[in-house]
Amino acid sequence: MELNNDPVTAHKKEETYLLEAVQLTKRFPMVLANDRVDFNVRRGEIHCLLGENGAGKTTLAECLYGFYKPEEGDIRFNGRCVNLSSPNDAIHLGIGMVHQHFVLVEPLSVIENIVMGTDHKGVLLDFAATEKKLDSLCLLYDVKIDLNAKIWQLSVGEQQWVEILKALYTGVKLLILDEPTAVLTPPEAERLFSVLQRMKDEGLSIIFITHRLKEVMQVSDRVTVLQKGRKVATVNTKDVTTEELAYMMVGRKVVFQVNKDEIKRGDPILQLTNLTAKSDMGLEALHGVNLVIHQSEILSVAGVAGNGQKELFEALIGVRKATAGDVIIAGKNIVNNSPRKIANEGISHIPDDRIGAGLIADFSVEENLILGLEENPPYRKGLFLDKSHIKKYAEESIAQYDIVTPSMKQRTSYLSGGNLQKVILARELRQSLKVLIANQPSRGLDVGVIEYVHKQLLEMRRNGIGILLISEDLDEIFTLSDRIAVMFRGKILKIFEAREANIESIGLLMAGITDKETQ
Amino acid sequence: MSPVDKLKFEKRDDISPLGRTAAIVVALIAAMLVSAILIKLANASPLEAFINLFKGAFGNKRAILETLTKSTPLILTGLATVIAFRGKIWSIGQEGQFFLGAIGGYWAYRIFEGLPAAALVPIVILGAFLVGAFGGMLAGLLKAYFNVDVIISTVMGNYIIDYFLSFMLSGSGPWREPGSYYQQTAEITENAYYPLLFANARIHMGFLIAIACSMIVYLILNHTPFGYQLRAFGSNPRAAKFKGINTNKIIILTMFISGGLAGLAGTGELFGVQYRLRPDLSPGYGYTGIIVAMLAGLNPIGVIPAAILFGALINGSAQMRIATGVPTALTFAIQAIVLLSLLSAQVLTRFRVRRVDHA
Repeated sequence: MELNNDPVTAHKKEETYLLEAVQLTKRFPMVLANDRVDFNVRRGEIHCLLGENGAGKTTLAECLYGFYKPEEGDIRFNGRCVNLSSPNDAIHLGIGMVHQHFVLVEPLSVIENIVMGTDHKGVLLDFAATEKKLDSLCLLYDVKIDLNAKIWQLSVGEQQWVEILKALYTGVKLLILDEPTAVLTPPEAERLFSVLQRMKDEGLSIIFITHRLKEVMQVSDRVTVLQKGRKVATVNTKDVTTEELAYMMVGRKVVFQVNKDEIKRGDPILQLTNLTAKSDMGLEALHGVNLVIHQSEILSVAGVAGNGQKELFEALIGVRKATAGDVIIAGKNIVNNSPRKIANEGISHIPDDRIGAGLIADFSVEENLILGLEENPPYRKGLFLDKSHIKKYAEESIAQYDIVTPSMKQRTSYLSGGNLQKVILARELRQSLKVLIANQPSRGLDVGVIEYVHKQLLEMRRNGIGILLISEDLDEIFTLSDRIAVMFRGKILKIFEAREANIESIGLLMAGITDKETQ
Repeated sequence: MSPVDKLKFEKRDDISPLGRTAAIVVALIAAMLVSAILIKLANASPLEAFINLFKGAFGNKRAILETLTKSTPLILTGLATVIAFRGKIWSIGQEGQFFLGAIGGYWAYRIFEGLPAAALVPIVILGAFLVGAFGGMLAGLLKAYFNVDVIISTVMGNYIIDYFLSFMLSGSGPWREPGSYYQQTAEITENAYYPLLFANARIHMGFLIAIACSMIVYLILNHTPFGYQLRAFGSNPRAAKFKGINTNKIIILTMFISGGLAGLAGTGELFGVQYRLRPDLSPGYGYTGIIVAMLAGLNPIGVIPAAILFGALINGSAQMRIATGVPTALTFAIQAIVLLSLLSAQVLTRFRVRRVDHA
């Protein structure tokens, strides 16, 4: 059982938990994702699973949800050993899970999605009865959502409510939420927390996966910290401080702030005027954005995912057609130029989707380090690639950016997330650039690597580079920015000087609430 | 035993070259065992059949040279496949482009017939490459600008080329040998023959061209910016686009080269072996080239041994048939069995199969 960390269980022998995992081990090729983890959930508690990315939080949850089958260890539900061979078994027991990526059918309504996602008897679907039941659930937990809206009309935050309702509808006793606040604005997150509190009062148990310490302190009764697949401890939240949790999570002291020098911003370097673009669905997603980025400046675009950031990023780097507007760098209009031309004007970029858009996973580290440079001398000599120069360049990059890889010939897909990002940083920052467009450069990275990324961005700022930082992480934005532009539904609502901004007003703007409306 | 519910494929860690070779040997033995059952069912002696198969393919110098002759078009259609498939451009047009090459070569021959061999043969080769390449490029253009699936456009293209050739060789067609009963052109004149490499053997200059092409494709793929971009596009088209690789150019140029290589295969058979253009110039060299390329693991150098293996099967099975009376259909079946076991071996070296069952 648990060590001395849990004073309650110490004297209460033989407590039967709602759910208990004993010595759970899950292996993947080359990775031990969970190493003899003990974990339990009481009835009517919110239990946080805390850890860095890759600590094994999601894997543990997926084992409890029957998605993965652990190699060793037992899972007990209500004190009885259970064998979960698929999520269906978990659902039958009353375990529900809301994943980071939602599984909803966009053209269908909320009710239709919930009916489809659940078992039903008989041939015909009884929408009326479903609606009645959902209405009462919404009332009970104080969830506000239009049940007849189509999924595509909903914001990402609202779609998460649909997933939660779907789980509640099946009558869960235990709800697992995997990083639920990643897609929420601060006010939306507050709402989620109050609903979770209500669920807890109704006797539900909740496993809340997160890597944000603040949330742990705010919502949980107990917290289990994982590090590199192992359980560090399970503690009562009220008995620990944020610093202690951070130490358990990372295994070393964490610097929460990187030092930002006072630098005077330089001349304008990149100007966006009335930039307009459509989404993949063909709807206008970017409505006439105006921004000016200066040298030695980090201008952040804050906003909840899906408010036009993707379209802004892609239009700027030339992979999405702008339907109107101009992008001017050093007096030259480059709107709708090819990505290669734009890059050659001195615009580097860091994509949010490292594996999908930033790297060729099958390529060696060496090859990835010259992606985009392959046609330029000195990497090309006559008709051929200059392999000896490329090798030298790769060696330098690996040393300079501290990329951990057994060799430069290593297939890139074997690198950790942090090292993948360093490959991209090396490639993008070692060129002569004027502007850097960084889309969520620290998403999914460990605290240590985030620190590294932030230092690199500040270093670039010191060197006179203009940086456009698109981020959903307000902490990151406040740490780095000189100015903050809040984006909502494809428009820039307001631009703040960072030192005059506060997190509350930006949070409200991110949800589209302008000052006038709140009065 | 508990009933098996699911089989799960898990990716293995990289496997050593030795392990890979061992897998191929095991696969070939397995293929022989399965084939032996079929041969037995056909009332022949498997051992005798295999001995004759081997003798027919490698029994003496003549047999070896004939095997190499048979493998020549397969190297080229295999390379045509390799270059397209490395970019995940699924061209099935090698058979059609094979004939386009023959048509292009013959067309060039008709125009420049009177020239001496030293000038005529290079012109024929160039014509064959360009016309085959043009066919491939059309499919590339359709993909790049209208997003037409390459599989569909190339398969349909194969039919169009087939019917076009039928028309050219029909009774009233412009290329039909006057007075001939067969669908064929007149025999080409000797100044257009591919030079033979040995007296008393059919192996011709086309074999050297094929070897040179596999070196060139290797260089293109591994040592040029274009090859780098093609491989990048093949494994992650989105990242390739984000990093400014002109994906349309890649698709069109790749299909151009692929079509040209298949075209060289066709013209080699016409000017090196058959000396006439006929609808049966290829017994499916284009499609077999796809198999050869898969077998070679899409490696341009690996295409050479893979093509020789299939050339040996084709060449050796003739003697096997004559000596043991194994029916022709069975020789095709054996080729298919060899292919299936080699492909299974490839999957099994790359993945581990695990049984997932309910306890």
